[in-house]
Amino acid sequence: MPERYGKYGGTYVPETLVPALTELEKGWRAARRDPKFQRELRSLEATWGGRPTPLYRADRLSAEMGGAEIYLKREDLVHGGAHKLNNALGQGLLARRLGKQRLIAETGAGQHGVATAMVGALLGLRTEVYMGKVDMERQRPNVQRMRLLGTTVREVTQGTQTLKDAINEALRDWISNVESTHYLLGSAVGPHPFPSIVADFQSVIGREIARDSHRRFGDVPDLAIACVGGGSNAIGTFHPLLRTRTRLVGVEAGGAEGAMGAASLSRGTPGILHGMLTYLLQDAEGQILPTESIAPGLDYAGVGPEHSALKDAGRVEYTVATDEEALHAFHLLARTEGILPALEPCHALAEAMKQARKMRKDERIVVTLSGRGDKDLEVVARHGQPG
Amino acid sequence: MASLGETLTARKRAGKGSLLAYLMAGTVPPERYLEAVDRLRASGVTGIEVGFPFSDPIAEGPVIQRAASESLRLGFRWEALMSLLPQISSRVPTAVMTYLNIFHHRGVPAALEDLSRGGATAVIIPDLPVEEAGPFRSAGKRSHVDPVLLASPGSAHGRVEQIARGTRGFLYVVSRYGTTGVVNAKAIDPARSSPELSGILTGARKVRPRLPLLVGFGVSQPEDVRRYRGMGADGVIVGSAFQSLLTEANGPGRLADMASDLVNALEAPHG
Repeated sequence: MPERYGKYGGTYVPETLVPALTELEKGWRAARRDPKFQRELRSLEATWGGRPTPLYRADRLSAEMGGAEIYLKREDLVHGGAHKLNNALGQGLLARRLGKQRLIAETGAGQHGVATAMVGALLGLRTEVYMGKVDMERQRPNVQRMRLLGTTVREVTQGTQTLKDAINEALRDWISNVESTHYLLGSAVGPHPFPSIVADFQSVIGREIARDSHRRFGDVPDLAIACVGGGSNAIGTFHPLLRTRTRLVGVEAGGAEGAMGAASLSRGTPGILHGMLTYLLQDAEGQILPTESIAPGLDYAGVGPEHSALKDAGRVEYTVATDEEALHAFHLLARTEGILPALEPCHALAEAMKQARKMRKDERIVVTLSGRGDKDLEVVARHGQPG
Repeated sequence: MASLGETLTARKRAGKGSLLAYLMAGTVPPERYLEAVDRLRASGVTGIEVGFPFSDPIAEGPVIQRAASESLRLGFRWEALMSLLPQISSRVPTAVMTYLNIFHHRGVPAALEDLSRGGATAVIIPDLPVEEAGPFRSAGKRSHVDPVLLASPGSAHGRVEQIARGTRGFLYVVSRYGTTGVVNAKAIDPARSSPELSGILTGARKVRPRLPLLVGFGVSQPEDVRRYRGMGADGVIVGSAFQSLLTEANGPGRLADMASDLVNALEAPHG
């Protein structure tokens, strides 16, 4: 479990959190080697979580592009409607193993909040989720789902009232209740060991992609694409493919046309936020900048430190898709394939559509469809139907 | 003027307790800030911790968070700090407190050199762990700015000693699990953190007997001061309680009264 990825990552936290992070790392190392822990995780993933998820060949979408075959890794079919459960379930079991009585989490789009709420209910752990006021307004269905699952949703009114501020508040809660509480961080961000733990639990995505690709077409994909906010579904997709020939592309939120969006890798510089050294959107003095994206799950000024290292190493290409491109992808997928995707992976889809046109018909792209779009219907409706 | 660390050390040697007052810069005009500093100084405050705002201050409670947002909203930036700092440091030993990214962005040696030119003699960075403090110590030695490290109730014994060895100027002992500021009813009974706090003070004294040990986070009452002095602390740091008075109408006067009460408690016999 690396503390750093190249120069990125690290543990830049108030001293009060150091013992908890040390305990977490130790607990995770032990759980990783414990066949009983792994068996329970696999069993719950299968019988409760709906894994494995299908690798679906999107023929009509591919035909529309007239190039490479596009496959969708259907993480939208995971219980709760997003890949977030993979990590929430793993960390929930870990928290129980560490004897914690309470879970806290941050959420942007609400998908990680919902996943944590489900796991809290399943394991009988008291659960509180921090969510920015702006996000609570634009992802209302998920707020309601969390409450129905018995979770307390705490509105965050500080700062930009989005994901970054929800993480701040969750960290402050953890500093105050570190002995009784596990902070179930939802993305591959934060201080060590969180980025490694989240990548580990999310790597089930890439393992299944590699396995199913071999079964379906006897090879790894030519190209794998995932959206990147904090970057958990992307790191889970990429990890098992890093040592293969597959070209890897991460897609950040470009925001409105001409705006800065939330593209920390594409438009940011290295800095320290939330306990990690990583690419950030910051001003000339190191103050973190407000971000904006139509997809709350991508609306974050930082990114997982491993992505920063993969960018510098040139192993993964990072690009952006705008709000408009994501919306276009949403409507196209809905109409060609009968799937309503979340706005976050629509950014990855938009890039896949561009790439497919440039590739041969016998080449294959896998897009991680990290979540379903029910939560976004209001936002999409507000932007109107395509012509 | 002697540095903050030297001042604290001399007072410790003389058996005197010390009080540091934290005030976020940029929430009030410079004249008003300096008036508050003068009143605090006249009440017997040993040093001032000048807060420089960061957009995402994760160790702060509501009062300092609000102050940081307000300061940034009013456009307080590094240049403004550079013009305010000499006026503070000519009055009283001065530390600057802010977050790590500010230093990372400017470069540690350049940032410390700036602060030194402004007359600051210590820097406190809540998200700087002991493992990463090396560059601050070497640059700080050249610029005569002490990087002050923090120890917490949860810090294991060996770690307390490592932090005590790694800090310069003084050791900032965090009083309890939590963020800065006076806590609400659901918070921890102060008695609960006492054994751990005593442990930190004892552990630190063992490796650095002459190092001043100051307790902060949630300190606001004379009885807090007496309790921590009784546990062997060489002083206390008061932030949110002062900060919340700064912007009020008769703020400087009330700051002075509060500081006097706290200073009296420092000097009261303890044991």
